[in-house]
Amino acid sequence: MSTDTDADARQQLIDLAAEFYDQFERGDVPSMTLPTRTKSNIEYDEASDVWVYGDRTSTRSANSVRGARKLLKAIYTIEFLARQLDEDRSSTLRELYYLSESWDAEEAQFNGQDESNKLVEDLEIVSEVKREDFHMRPEESGATLIGPLELIEQTRRGERQIHCQQDVGEGGYQIPNNPDTIQFTDHDIDFVLCVETGGMRDRLVENGFDTEYNCLIVHLKGQPARATRRVTKRLHDELDLPVLVFTDGDPWSYRIFGSVAYGSIKSAHLSKYLATPEARYVGIRPQDIVEYDLPTDPLADSDVNALESELEDPRFQDEFWTEQIELQLDIDKKAEQQALAANGLDFVTDTYLPERLTDMGVL
Amino acid sequence: MTSFQQTLGEEAGIAEELAESQRAISIAEFFEKNKQMLGFDSEARALVTAVKEAVDNALDATEEARIRPNISVEITESGDYYRLAVEDNGPGITREQIPKIFGKLLYGSRFHAREQSRGQQGIGISAAVLYSQLTSGKPAKITSRTKGSETVMEFELVIDTDDNEPEIREERELTPGESDLGDTHGTRIELEMAANMRARQQLQDYIKHTAVVNPHATISFSEPNQEFVAKADYDADLPEETEEIRPHPHGVELGNVLKMLKATDSHSVSGFLQTEFTRVGRKTADNIVDAFRDRHYGREMAWSLPDDDGVTAAVTEAVNNKPAEAVGAFADQVVGELDDRAVDGRVAHHQVAAAVEAAAEGVEAEAQFGSTVRENVVEGVWAAITGYGATSEDEETDDGARIRDDVRAHADAATSVQKDDAVVVAFADRLAAKFVPEAEDPDLRRNRLHRDTVRDYVDRAADMTEEREDATFGDTARENVVEELWGTMVTVPDDPPKVSDLAADRQGVGDLVAAMRMTDIIAPPTSCLSPISAELVEAGLRKEFDAEFYSAATRDAEVTAGDPFVVEAGIAYGGDIEAEGQARLLRYANRVPLVYKRGGCAITQVIQDIGWRNYNLDQPGGRGVPNGPVVIMVHVASTNVPFTSESKDAVASVPEIEDEIELAVREAARDLKSYLKKQRSMRKRKQKQNVLADILPRMATKVAEVTGRPEPNYDDALARIMNNVLVERETKENGDSQTVTVRIENNASTKELPELTDIVTAEPSNLTDGASVVEMDGEWFVKWQPEVSSGDEAVLEYTVATDASFDLSVSGVEGPKLTVTN
Repeated sequence: MSTDTDADARQQLIDLAAEFYDQFERGDVPSMTLPTRTKSNIEYDEASDVWVYGDRTSTRSANSVRGARKLLKAIYTIEFLARQLDEDRSSTLRELYYLSESWDAEEAQFNGQDESNKLVEDLEIVSEVKREDFHMRPEESGATLIGPLELIEQTRRGERQIHCQQDVGEGGYQIPNNPDTIQFTDHDIDFVLCVETGGMRDRLVENGFDTEYNCLIVHLKGQPARATRRVTKRLHDELDLPVLVFTDGDPWSYRIFGSVAYGSIKSAHLSKYLATPEARYVGIRPQDIVEYDLPTDPLADSDVNALESELEDPRFQDEFWTEQIELQLDIDKKAEQQALAANGLDFVTDTYLPERLTDMGVL
Repeated sequence: MTSFQQTLGEEAGIAEELAESQRAISIAEFFEKNKQMLGFDSEARALVTAVKEAVDNALDATEEARIRPNISVEITESGDYYRLAVEDNGPGITREQIPKIFGKLLYGSRFHAREQSRGQQGIGISAAVLYSQLTSGKPAKITSRTKGSETVMEFELVIDTDDNEPEIREERELTPGESDLGDTHGTRIELEMAANMRARQQLQDYIKHTAVVNPHATISFSEPNQEFVAKADYDADLPEETEEIRPHPHGVELGNVLKMLKATDSHSVSGFLQTEFTRVGRKTADNIVDAFRDRHYGREMAWSLPDDDGVTAAVTEAVNNKPAEAVGAFADQVVGELDDRAVDGRVAHHQVAAAVEAAAEGVEAEAQFGSTVRENVVEGVWAAITGYGATSEDEETDDGARIRDDVRAHADAATSVQKDDAVVVAFADRLAAKFVPEAEDPDLRRNRLHRDTVRDYVDRAADMTEEREDATFGDTARENVVEELWGTMVTVPDDPPKVSDLAADRQGVGDLVAAMRMTDIIAPPTSCLSPISAELVEAGLRKEFDAEFYSAATRDAEVTAGDPFVVEAGIAYGGDIEAEGQARLLRYANRVPLVYKRGGCAITQVIQDIGWRNYNLDQPGGRGVPNGPVVIMVHVASTNVPFTSESKDAVASVPEIEDEIELAVREAARDLKSYLKKQRSMRKRKQKQNVLADILPRMATKVAEVTGRPEPNYDDALARIMNNVLVERETKENGDSQTVTVRIENNASTKELPELTDIVTAEPSNLTDGASVVEMDGEWFVKWQPEVSSGDEAVLEYTVATDASFDLSVSGVEGPKLTVTN
């Protein structure tokens, strides 16, 4: 945690406030311009291979009561964050939401956590400072990873050197909220396997997949937290490891892969920092449902809508995904990772993954 | 407008008829039998009617004399009876005028006058006098002082129920101090009658509503329970005097025409039409007379002329004992005259007669053809034309071929091409048979027929054709044939009957009325109407209702059934008007409030059918009278307001009038809509301003805190956000004096005309052009009213002593739109 970053972040926030100040002084209506955060304003950035916000912007202006409230909340939040940095403290997004209750201006208080979360993201975008550097962290404990990796973590209680296979229990090493506080020191990893569900992660650990194949198993825990995505990106970039994503075979899981590989719509401003465009999708693929004759559920209406919307999602515009999604719409089925157990508990580690990874040239 | 003759023609006409038919019985009995119609059916209602009559009388009397009316209505209890006293400041009345005012009950001499007048009941004050006399036995007391007179005359008057004449019982000359009458000239009528106050609300409504449509008048009202005064609006002028117009031919009924025929000095129908009706000149009269002839006498069928030889032969045949040369010349003349008269080669019987007449006169020098000879020639030629009734038996043998050919041609022209030719021919031949002249009947011989008869011929021929030929001959086809034939037929030259004869001929008068209806006549003039005007409708509402918003509309005059009419509407909204429940409806006919039968009135119905939600008013179910603090006023002014019944409480549903009512109400409502819309947006703006006025200062404070700078000025930003007009006053010291700069920045989307007044305690100098200074008691009023376009700014500058204090105010810009910073 460098004081430089903190001071920078703080300065950025104050500059933002100064911008409002100048607007007032010029007699202008205070406003804040942000990229439009919708799917249609996501563009592929060829230089970095990730999806970033496009040119379209929206303006929060004090011209409307709504806009004015947003800006008032923004300036109160800026003040809070600046003080937090000043005092070298940190807080969770949820704490920010509750804290707003104590603010003197009722109009500045948040109506819900979505609103405060979104505002922090807005501030990240305009200040070009990451949330983590504001010392804001999410609620949930980070996800875990397990595998032949040695690292040093800067904790508030000093440096800790940890081997992520030998120094941890079966639960694995917990990724800190700001993974930039860790340093990779040594490893024996051949590839990184990101797994969506806890059940499958535990199966792989129980079957010793990480030791057998020198694999680092990262638990995504559903839609992966930023810290998880950042670690994955660093593992790929710094240790030059192939990254593979293993999820359920349904549209929601494809989005999980999408956010690991290309970035999410909400945090497209951080794609360059979070996304691993080289990540590859292992499965479950709709073709697996057919080939392995997996137990399935029929697609719900919402699944179909999600698949159709993915066909238009710029992140899924390639031959592989178009083919798979169309196939799935065609067979009208979806399957979970654990459906592989229909062929025995060891099928996934003995057959499915080795075969697929060999096909993909990883093994 | 005569003040004492309240009756509006027709109404009295009906009453007169009624009275006439009951002459055998006493006037008291007549009154008793008809009191419902006269508005005296209950004791409660009788009082309202009496007040109405007396007030209408008083208003008319004062207006006629061009005096601003000041009228008082007092109702007091008097033993078992109620005493009504109505006093005006009119010109007063003399003894000689008494019979005129209290003239025979229900008689109107000018029954066909067309003029807008208040007289709705058509009975005048005399009915009220009679009612009080019959119920209380007390005479009416009339007190009057004419203009310039030193004394007051007091009369006690009864109506003699035997001969229906007013009779003065007592007569006193008093000094002004002795009488009850007010300071100057005027008339006071006191009546004692059986009555009750159950219709108190209607009574008050009547007075209040009368005040709305007579903003020029002051009316005070007192009754045992309360009293109030509706004060005149002194900006409101007296209504313009109306001109009386003669009736319009499209608006008269048979009964009226009958009476007019009896009363007129004209002898000819044409003269009668031109003198007694409006918009009838010579040409129109001719058109009406032609239409009358067609209806009254019928037209004559015109048939194709035979060739010249045929005519010559017929003429020669009909003339005996004349030199052949003369006969030849005469025949030639007849041929020529017929050709001149023929239309499309066809002539009618009277044209033949005229041709023969002219030919005989043409050859007078050579030979005399007497009337018998002429008649013979006419019939001979007519026989040659129709092919029937020829005296000689030579070549005219083909039974009815001539007529048949003509009728076939007409039938062919009138029927559609889809019709089978054989069917048309069969039909035409049957029809032609109907036209065969019958020697015994002069009309049939001449083929002189009414249109109905032609239709009857066509129907019979068509029915037969349908039966025999199994063809269809619909109503349209039949009517087309009639139209074709009627078009060919010729109006006869017969003179219409003399007026005196016509008056005795109900059928003939019916034909005349129908002829007047059929003839195109331009609409009547509107000078006979005296609408209140939108301005005064608004003034009246303003006077009687303390509202936030008023609007009014007056439509242009329209005509229905020959009567010109004008509809006006007014709306008052908000303020002290009762917000609970339905809107109040004020209905008027010729400036008189209608207080009964609200539901049955066309005005109410039109208002109920309007979608008031479109005008931002609450209307449960999207139909009915809207809810809310609204007064809707509608005035129908006409020379003849159509009522649903004799009691004249509700306007009847006449489409033309309903349309105008709707348009007038909608016009007034449009203004209400934009007002309500604006009010709503102002309210929103106000709310927005309140929220932003809270948020922006807090934002400014926080921004200052975070940046560690002094608090920024946010007024400009606020003004801009609110599309506001921003007025800023700045001063710059310059030794002993200071330069004051007032800057007006218009951020609104429209042009603004703010009025600035800056009151300073020292004399200002170096004022910007356009600003002015007025000194009052040691204070200087700097006044400035610049025009500032949207997005523009205007600057006022002046110099004043440094120690001068100031007080800046701005008007002319709506409050929520204005931000003033000192």
